[in-house]
Amino acid sequence: MSDVWRLLDTGTQPAANNMALERVILDARGRNLIPDTLHFLEFTPSVLVGYHQAVELEVDEHYCRRHGIDINRRISGGGAIYVDQGVLGWELVTGKDAPGIPGRLEEIYRLLCEAAIAGLERLGVPARFRPQNDIEVGGRKISGTGGAEAGNALIYHGTVLVDFDVETMIKCLRLPIAKLGDKLIQSFKERVISLREVLETPPPMAVIKQQMAEGFASVLGVRLEAGTLTGQEGELLDQELPRFQSDGWIRGPRRLQDNSLRAVDYKAPGGLIRISLRLDQARRRIKYAFITGDFFAYPERSILDLEATLKNVSSEPSVILQTVRSFFTTHQVQIPGVEPDDFFHALQAAIYQTGSGRKQSQANESFGGR
Amino acid sequence: MQVDKRFVPEGLLYARNDYWVKATADEAVIGLTAYGQDVTGDILYLELPPVGDSVSRGEDSGSIESGKWVGRLLPPVTGTVLERNSVLEEDPSGANQDPYGVGWLIRVRLADPSELEVLLSPAAYREWIEEQIRREQEEEGAL
Repeated sequence: MSDVWRLLDTGTQPAANNMALERVILDARGRNLIPDTLHFLEFTPSVLVGYHQAVELEVDEHYCRRHGIDINRRISGGGAIYVDQGVLGWELVTGKDAPGIPGRLEEIYRLLCEAAIAGLERLGVPARFRPQNDIEVGGRKISGTGGAEAGNALIYHGTVLVDFDVETMIKCLRLPIAKLGDKLIQSFKERVISLREVLETPPPMAVIKQQMAEGFASVLGVRLEAGTLTGQEGELLDQELPRFQSDGWIRGPRRLQDNSLRAVDYKAPGGLIRISLRLDQARRRIKYAFITGDFFAYPERSILDLEATLKNVSSEPSVILQTVRSFFTTHQVQIPGVEPDDFFHALQAAIYQTGSGRKQSQANESFGGR
Repeated sequence: MQVDKRFVPEGLLYARNDYWVKATADEAVIGLTAYGQDVTGDILYLELPPVGDSVSRGEDSGSIESGKWVGRLLPPVTGTVLERNSVLEEDPSGANQDPYGVGWLIRVRLADPSELEVLLSPAAYREWIEEQIRREQEEEGAL
């Protein structure tokens, strides 16, 4: 990493402009046209799917159209997100072989998330890194992150939930729930947290940016100098923007994998375990598991951490069993009347849709097979 | 199934960006090495170039997603794609579990067989990954 980085703030932009800007800045850095850069961006209401995701599977397009919410595709991986004026976007663009940038991806995630955490701490937020690449407060996600590379450059970006509109997020995205009830909305709210909730009154955006910038600079050991897009970046943006506004980019030639919603209620001695999950059958992976119930878990955040651990895990029984048992041991989880293997059996029942004689929810819906 | 990241079979050529090449007179099969899949992590999506496309050494020819990271497929040789491993596009776990077998990525007709001369022998690649592992350990110590 160089000692002096450019600090770039492009303000509030529509989704296509923001996504095109990321591409342009990454490519420009890959061609050594620009210095290392910390970029802040803000959003008009937008749903952004991950690079390899299919819009049809992840987004309620009808809802988005009716409410003027942009849909676009990120150059980074991961899942679909909803962003609006209550979210700050940040991104770091540097060289893959820059001094201080680790070779292993998991170490890059950790380092760059720690840099974002330093900024959040300056704002008074007790944030922590949660593998693989989330930032959380008390088990609740305040920032999701992801990355991409081009040539010899990398981009690592994330969000800070400042004053987040969870209800709109739930309506825009195809989450692992069949029908929204007040309880489910409340459960989803408990999985994310914003600055408004932590600090009661979120600081002005300018203050958040300033503190985040100082956090990044201190962890990365660099000095930031305010800058603007270069003329070359402006030209590249003019070239790229039509592509990022096109259906070809937004929908892309993505494969429509099976994306079934599975839901099951499993009765353990200590209470009911309710599992809703999206399963990618072709890849044999749990895309997202949502676990609720009437049991009591200690520490309280355990179930949120278990959900994070199960994300993208293989749906092979032996892997799930090992993942759940190891999670309970390493996190010292205690749930009266519920054993780790109850979660394994509940997950199995959801994956294979075998009620195993237990009560099974009717919420079985499939968006797949098209 | 865990693959030993230091596993470097004989009979293949290697690139420093962690691809292996199995070459015949004018064709080559290309895949990620055991070390390459280890530093990448669990691969969730792969996008391989279509049959008939030209790919160039070190030029972006596809994508590899792991842990919310979209990496690029950078072939170590130039050529025309004769075959791609479409099984991996459906389920990329083979690239992690059996990188030198079912995890192969593409087969190409070589445009310039002399490019093979700059690739590393198994012994040289072993040395290269040991260097990288040492660097990783130093980084871990520094964090």
